[in-house]
Amino acid sequence: MASRRSAAQGASPGSRTSPASHANQAGPVRSLADDLRTRTDTELATLLLIRPDLGRPVPAGFAALAARATTRPSVHRAVETLDRAELTVALAAVVAAEADPHGSGVVTEDAVRALADGPVAESLTRLWERGLLWRSPQGWHVVSTLVEVLGPHPAGLGISAREVQPRYAACSPPRGPDLDAVLAEASPAARAVLDTLTWGPPTGSIPASGPTHDAARWLIAKGVCAPSGVGHITLVREVALQLRGGRLFREPTQTPTMAWEPSIDPATVDRVGGAHARDLLTLVDELADRWGTASPRVLRTGGVGVRDLAALAADLDVSSDEVHFLVELARAAGLLGRAGSPDGIRPESWAPTADYDTWSARGAADRWAALVLAWLTNPRATHLIGATLGRGTTVGVLSPEVSWPPVREIRRDVLEVLAVPQAGGVAAAEELAAVLAWRRPLRDRSTTAQVLAVTLREAQWLGVTALGSLTTVGRLLAEGATEDQLATAAASAMPDPVDHLLLQADLTAIAPGPLDGTLARFVRLVSDIESRGGATVFRISAESVRRALDSGLTADEVLDRLREASRTPVPQPLDYLVRDVARRHGQTRVGGATAYLRSDDESLLSGMLADRTLAPALLRRIAPTVLVSLAEPASLLDLLREGGYAPTQEAFDGSIVVSEPASRRAPAGRTRTGSDPAAPALDATLAGEVVQRLRSESWPGHASRAPARLQTDAAEIQAVLRETVAQGGAVWVGYTDSDGRSSKHLVSPWRFEGGRLYAVNADTETVFVLHRITGVAPA
Amino acid sequence: MTDGPLIVQSDKTLLLEVDHPSAEYARRAIAPFAELERAPEHVHTYRVTPLGLWNARAAGHDAEQVIDALLRYSRYAVPQPLLVDIADTMSRYGRLTLEKHPVHGLVLHATDRPVLEEVLRHKKIQPMLGERLDPDTVLVHASERGHLKQQLLKIGWPAEDLAGYVDGEAHPIALREEGWSMRPYQRHAVEGFWHGGSGVVVLPCGAGKTIVGAGAMAAASATTLILVTNTVAARQWKDELLRRTSLTENEIGEYSGTRKEIRPVTIATYQVLSVRRKGVYAHLELLDARDWGLVVYDEVHLLPAPIFRMTADLQARRRLGLTATLVREDGREADVFSLIGPKRFDAPWKDIEAQGYIAPADCVEVRVTLPEAERMVYAVAEPDERYRLASCTPSKERVVQTLVDRHTGEPTLVIGQYLDQLDTLAGRLDAPLITGETPIAQRQKLFAGFRAGEIPLLVVSKVANFSIDLPEASVAIQVSGTFGSRQEEAQRLGRLLRPKGDGRTAHFYSVVSRDTVDADFAAHRQRFLAEQGYAYRIVDAEEL
Repeated sequence: MASRRSAAQGASPGSRTSPASHANQAGPVRSLADDLRTRTDTELATLLLIRPDLGRPVPAGFAALAARATTRPSVHRAVETLDRAELTVALAAVVAAEADPHGSGVVTEDAVRALADGPVAESLTRLWERGLLWRSPQGWHVVSTLVEVLGPHPAGLGISAREVQPRYAACSPPRGPDLDAVLAEASPAARAVLDTLTWGPPTGSIPASGPTHDAARWLIAKGVCAPSGVGHITLVREVALQLRGGRLFREPTQTPTMAWEPSIDPATVDRVGGAHARDLLTLVDELADRWGTASPRVLRTGGVGVRDLAALAADLDVSSDEVHFLVELARAAGLLGRAGSPDGIRPESWAPTADYDTWSARGAADRWAALVLAWLTNPRATHLIGATLGRGTTVGVLSPEVSWPPVREIRRDVLEVLAVPQAGGVAAAEELAAVLAWRRPLRDRSTTAQVLAVTLREAQWLGVTALGSLTTVGRLLAEGATEDQLATAAASAMPDPVDHLLLQADLTAIAPGPLDGTLARFVRLVSDIESRGGATVFRISAESVRRALDSGLTADEVLDRLREASRTPVPQPLDYLVRDVARRHGQTRVGGATAYLRSDDESLLSGMLADRTLAPALLRRIAPTVLVSLAEPASLLDLLREGGYAPTQEAFDGSIVVSEPASRRAPAGRTRTGSDPAAPALDATLAGEVVQRLRSESWPGHASRAPARLQTDAAEIQAVLRETVAQGGAVWVGYTDSDGRSSKHLVSPWRFEGGRLYAVNADTETVFVLHRITGVAPA
Repeated sequence: MTDGPLIVQSDKTLLLEVDHPSAEYARRAIAPFAELERAPEHVHTYRVTPLGLWNARAAGHDAEQVIDALLRYSRYAVPQPLLVDIADTMSRYGRLTLEKHPVHGLVLHATDRPVLEEVLRHKKIQPMLGERLDPDTVLVHASERGHLKQQLLKIGWPAEDLAGYVDGEAHPIALREEGWSMRPYQRHAVEGFWHGGSGVVVLPCGAGKTIVGAGAMAAASATTLILVTNTVAARQWKDELLRRTSLTENEIGEYSGTRKEIRPVTIATYQVLSVRRKGVYAHLELLDARDWGLVVYDEVHLLPAPIFRMTADLQARRRLGLTATLVREDGREADVFSLIGPKRFDAPWKDIEAQGYIAPADCVEVRVTLPEAERMVYAVAEPDERYRLASCTPSKERVVQTLVDRHTGEPTLVIGQYLDQLDTLAGRLDAPLITGETPIAQRQKLFAGFRAGEIPLLVVSKVANFSIDLPEASVAIQVSGTFGSRQEEAQRLGRLLRPKGDGRTAHFYSVVSRDTVDADFAAHRQRFLAEQGYAYRIVDAEEL
């Protein structure tokens, strides 16, 4: 099941020595490990912050750090974060390293600049910061894994002349004037082949006969191309570079510029954003109110039903997209959770959590900041909702399939791009897409465009953007502000809450601004919302008053609370309505009993009430001829017979039952507890600590013990693994192998697909089969 | 953050805080484009609808003014999508205009060619249009002027009708302002109508709509066709015109079930025009009997569908609609807009009351409790019988008696729906009864007696709902109504609102059975009163 490969070797292309032998810090830099050791604390911390997977768990030393930094998954992840300029320089460095005639792998800045056709110094430094290059007195060195990750055809170049199999290398590739001579001789067909292959892809298929076939043979004979597989040829790299004029790309890379539209007044942007933020808080409260009383079932697949969502959308008067966003956001912020037992006796349902109560007691700005941060770090991608899964099913809200961790990076990128212009600048969506593509050239463009659209929409609902421009709080969010900083800034943008209502004779109550806290909860209980916006119009009806009375309030309490909250006297019709409903409220009572006794002999029933032997049945008289009991009918019959009475059992329709009563049932079991919180994200402080530990040689490294409890829920296992693969870092995996032995492993997973988990443990790559994983826990 | 009186909601309603110092300015700024929906004591609700915005366009306002009004008076940030929507909607009006071409007659002209292309391809509109005269102009069959406007409005491209009107047959009419004069708002209403060409004037009951009609006739000085709801209303129009204008008895004709006179000024009922014999309208010839210069529609919110269809063919004549409310219970506001015309004048009820032109009113709902036996009967009754049972409970009779006694000497109306109930009440109260079966002559005699103060108490059925003028009624007691009709409530309240000689407060009582559908329907009507700004109280019958 496991394939082994030395990852540590890759750390130093120039030397074959293990990095662990470089104990001497002052010695010459001969590997990435040496380079890392000579870096300052700040530089190391930067590395850990850019590539957080390197710091978790804390590596045992610089050798281990270097080894981890050169694993394929880690390098792959680092490359994905490069922008177009950095990627170009990385490609140029790889090509230059392979072209080095001495085979030393040393790359000079000049060589890179020539290939990249533009300024490179800055990008080189950034690649070095990321640990993709290391520096020795001779020059730059490329981490060999980078070569692998960038593939066999960097920048669309073919194999190098050195790699051409000797039996085909009849002559070395022509250079300089020789190439010109060859080109002059070339037939039109040969020219056409060269033109096709020059700017990549470098490999083409050759027909079995005809002029193109002949031209290909001629090019091979001249050493310009080399055969690659049956019926294919590859343009030799050195030739391609000469044909490209020594450059890697046709166009020099240029930072895209955005034409920001004339800016809007930042104060207006903040005001509108603040209003959106307020709306969001109200909607979350209403969501919690509704799902707190009528919780929708958790579907077998883990999501929530389409019908429940449609009903919610209608109730809240928002679009279905916004409802999806709201529900996922509430879940991400921990305000929604599963209630009930998974064993199915009490079906599981989605309901507000206890955290919701804590959250709702906080100030508006704090509540909002918590939501916004939950959104920014939420690995769930709402653009996937509604996508087809095959077999006629689609991705549902709150289902595990919505999880797609890369969405966080894109979200963050969008915010950062929006933060580029001055406050109040407005960006066109197409330009944003272009800038995003430049920032992350390796990302899939159509996915990015989809996520961009959804992110812009959600940012507006959140109040992070307004009128197409980033708000002040949005800007802070993009800069990585803390929750407190966000809350402080948000507080000044949001409209001030009001503490009063205006009660009117048409039985409406109007809050002329946002409401907060207990008053908001009370008004939502005692009335229904009729219109939303800057103000809220509530309608008080017989039904809503009944709801308030059902929750235990009395008519006087309702009226007192209304009187307190209102700046105007309580209108007489409202007073009358509340009292009128209260008059009828509770006229009919419903209760639960498991058995009843009825007899026309009232004194017999009085005797039973007084009979001590019947005390366990908890009898109660509800009418002169009727008693009720909390005992099961069967046990009540037994008890009565033991007491010397002669009861008969009655069916629900009043007929006499002579057979045995129905079989019995055990009561419902306990519910399970919630899941562990995820590992904290690596921040600047934490990175500093990791660096300190690295410096202290005595630190025992991998000595961390396996956790006592692993997540065993299948959906949780998948979620944790997806999360770890996306974030980097390590995870404990409980595993039962094919012989039935169980074990625990601390591994760094890098790929999770097709029911298999590909992970690296120290320097070996291991493949775990998903259905044999018994549990996981974040390290 | 500004501190304006206006709050813009996301559902396109505007909340106006009336106690705010600048509330009046804000009200004036939004009145042209927003319909007042509710006017309870503290916060008034206006609604922005496409029709309202087009009404504003027709009155010469543009989107910039509308948006500026919202931004200036709004307390919180105005939702951006709403502003965009307003600008979009308003820009749709007037891209198509109906004009009179010197050679070809009626044409449809577009300032926006794609819109014309869209319209030309619409399969319901295509048959109404003729030859294309140039890229922006297309011929319209003259008979389709109304239908075309109706359809264009339906697809969201309301056309501005600039094709003008025929002058009609001239006939001198002048106002005779002797001992009275037109009130300022009536004058404004006439001016607004005349400059707009055609359209609707909205005035509360009792505010003198007839005089606006007379004013319009004087302005037109042409033969006039007046369409009213029933014969009694027709007689009252005639009386009023004789009193207010230079017209004489011989110049005014009545065209109703009983009489068929066609004179320079003819008053016809909706009913007679809607009569069909063998599938054809029997009295359509009235519309072409003369070259009418003006058509007046009384109570335009009650205009029946056949009259709409006939009106579609009257587009070349000036049309004046008079009403207390643009709200139609059948939702045909759009037809009023396209066929009669846009709103030309509107004055809120409360404003006119404040100016002293209509009387203040005290509204009270009296709840009676059904006796035990009746509750049982009610509980087991079929659903469609319940309202009748609850409405006609004998317990109401005692309450009515108490109320009548309390207001002895004041002119009082007892209004109801069910004839046997009214019969019983009339007997008990010893008062004359007027129903649909009462002969017109008898009715007029009774009304005259009531007006003169000889008869202090009348029991009336639904016939009293519309257009009977009882100037001195100051107490109304309704014992049953047409379910929850808000319209009826407005009309009945309107009976009381003519100003009283001594400035007395009018009293409006509704007697309602507790815990029945009667109370549910009453709640619906009460809400209407509260929304109109009338404070109302609920009292138990025992407390009277």
